[in-house]
Amino acid sequence: MQAFDVVVIGGGLLGCFAARNLCRWKLDTALLEAREDVCTGVSRANTAIVYPGFDHKPGTLKAEMCVRANAGFETLCRELDVPFHRCGSLMVSFGEKADAVLKKKYENGHSMGVPGLRLLSGEEALRMEPALAAGVTSALYAPTTGTVNPWELGIAACESAAANGAKLCLNTRALAISRTAEGYRIETGREDFICRAVINCSGLYADRVQELLFPSPVHIAPDAADYLILDKAAENKPVHIIQYEPEDGGKGFNAVPTVEGSLLLGPSERDNETDFAVRADGLSFVRARAERVLPGLDPEDTIRSFAAVRPNPQREDGSSIGSFVIENPGPGFWSLIGIKTPGLTCADELGRYVAEKAAAFLHADANEAFDGHRSGIPKAGRMCWERRNAAIQANPDYGEVICCCEDVTKAEVLEAIRRGAVTLDGVKRRTGTGMGRCQGSRCQEKLLALLAQELGVSEAEVTKDGAGSEILGGGRNEN
Amino acid sequence: MKTELLIVGAGAAGMAAALSAWEAGCRDILLADRRGLPGGILPQCLHKGFGLAGYGTELTGPDYAARLAQRLEKTGVRFALGTEVLEIRGDKTAVLSDRRGLTELCFDRLILAAGCREKSIGSLPVAGTRPAGIFTAGQTQEMMNLHGQDPGKEILILGSGDLGMIMARQFTLAGKHVIALVEKDARCGGMARNFHRCIEPYAIPVLYRTTVTQIHGAGRINGVTLRHLDSGREERIPCDTLVTALGLIPERVLVRKLGEPVWLFLAGNCRRVHDLVDSAVAEAEQVGRSAAIRLDKAL
Repeated sequence: MQAFDVVVIGGGLLGCFAARNLCRWKLDTALLEAREDVCTGVSRANTAIVYPGFDHKPGTLKAEMCVRANAGFETLCRELDVPFHRCGSLMVSFGEKADAVLKKKYENGHSMGVPGLRLLSGEEALRMEPALAAGVTSALYAPTTGTVNPWELGIAACESAAANGAKLCLNTRALAISRTAEGYRIETGREDFICRAVINCSGLYADRVQELLFPSPVHIAPDAADYLILDKAAENKPVHIIQYEPEDGGKGFNAVPTVEGSLLLGPSERDNETDFAVRADGLSFVRARAERVLPGLDPEDTIRSFAAVRPNPQREDGSSIGSFVIENPGPGFWSLIGIKTPGLTCADELGRYVAEKAAAFLHADANEAFDGHRSGIPKAGRMCWERRNAAIQANPDYGEVICCCEDVTKAEVLEAIRRGAVTLDGVKRRTGTGMGRCQGSRCQEKLLALLAQELGVSEAEVTKDGAGSEILGGGRNEN
Repeated sequence: MKTELLIVGAGAAGMAAALSAWEAGCRDILLADRRGLPGGILPQCLHKGFGLAGYGTELTGPDYAARLAQRLEKTGVRFALGTEVLEIRGDKTAVLSDRRGLTELCFDRLILAAGCREKSIGSLPVAGTRPAGIFTAGQTQEMMNLHGQDPGKEILILGSGDLGMIMARQFTLAGKHVIALVEKDARCGGMARNFHRCIEPYAIPVLYRTTVTQIHGAGRINGVTLRHLDSGREERIPCDTLVTALGLIPERVLVRKLGEPVWLFLAGNCRRVHDLVDSAVAEAEQVGRSAAIRLDKAL
């Protein structure tokens, strides 16, 4: 049995930021994650946009947090040593109805103090972004919109939390929660955790985790969508994030030039579904949208498709909830339920919000020793030549390129494993291996060998993303 | 650092171009490759069938590579193995990385002989999950023949190109079950010679006018949905491994922004995809002879 002041359940972006913010107080904090690594669920697949905030209802927690979080994103990313591109966005329309929608959004954003918003004519939009389809009638330009790699941010927050004393407990699933005289007992099937406060950040399962002890008036109806990724060498990529407001009022669409240089297209329109399986009609939808808005893109440049699942919050009667839901069903117990867009933007704000609640509840003192600075794995591909040469002189592994598509060296892979990567996907999330145009077909066998060597296991035991996803020997399927 | 002729890629084409450039009188040649040994993909091609046109006999890939390497040993061509070429610039400099550091190299002419990459399944609109157990054919060849890694047991192959057929035979000989090769066209995608040698003798089924529309399995792949294109009928087939042979893409990323400067030559599969190594070599020898001559003297 282990005792903590606060236990955070769920090691996604939200849980990692909740844990990191709890470290600002003198609180013994544990972060429980059911899987073998952090950021493997909702955090691993989403649109990667840091929103400016013009899309939310003024006065709501979501709107307030989004505008504030956006303004502070450079500072946050500098502290956590994570690349953030404030590339700006153009929300574009192709007709009068959508023009009117943009105008409303502009007024909404203006009233909330979203900085720099401008309504552009179609010609102005085309001058700013020549990749757009001719026929664009207006655009809402938001200079503060940006993009960040969601899992890079989450892993950074987790490392920062751990460096400030939070205990990360992987492969630890909350199975039962009960009340004790001092607070709560969490059973995990391995060992029990007792604590004075609980913060439930279980993503797609947040309602069920709350129901381990309390009723949950909010239910999660998972909402899946498909995405495509285009090679960074693709021609006619936009420079800004492009958001499409369809004339028929249908689902919008985004094209995001990622920090890695690839182009992310999506999401598709979809019915509610629970798994991360891609659907063919979803892919066709994304392709059609891309062709409508950015006709110069070549589908041949597609290197990957994937599905994302969002925790869509619903009331008992099945109606959707537009706002973030922060439940406080019992003393010292908070649940973040159904945190979808702009959850990535607001991850730190939400973490700070619940950490402050817990700290106040526990009458905790501020932790003067908290140091928010974290250093990322130095990436060879992001270094200038002088620095890269110096890195090789200090560590020859920096001279050995493992992933030639994304320019990732052996030094980075070894450091990722030292920092906790135990799977191929764990290395990918920390270094970018396998994310490029060959999708790992040229580096996987080297990564297998490095993982096996560093983890002290056989290559046959190395997995893609946890038990059951063994790479070699046909896996352990029973067909 | 300086070199007159930089050749990127020490596979069959790069080595052949280096040899012919040397024989044509060029005395300052550097042959760079990211791999630790010369030969490109030849060392992983353990089957026979190389060199019928060039040597009049059927060699294995490693033997073919060794013949080129032995001839190169008698020249003054310098090798830079285990070396990644990070950048090629329009001002005729290149940045090379190895375990000793970065090198900025000035060259007068450059032959890109970087081969191909395999088209990955990510480029196709295939539905379903993204589990472990999906490989390209060349990847399984490298895994099995160079690293002793076993990709799987119940294997479906998507595509019927040469690499797919060659691996179908190797899987079968290694005691694995090749469920079928799945080909969207009405005919085999590779050479008839490979069909007669690799597919027919082992009675490996080839499903024509068929494709994979969906991948199943959470951790490891446990099946695919096949679609028979003419009837529209779909069926789910269990497998633990999906191997893709979807075709080859010439690897020209390093020079994509350079246009077509007079100092840049392409050789081998990055120029165009060759069915036979002998034809890649014959073409590369011509390229090597052209690139041997100084640009100011060529005019």
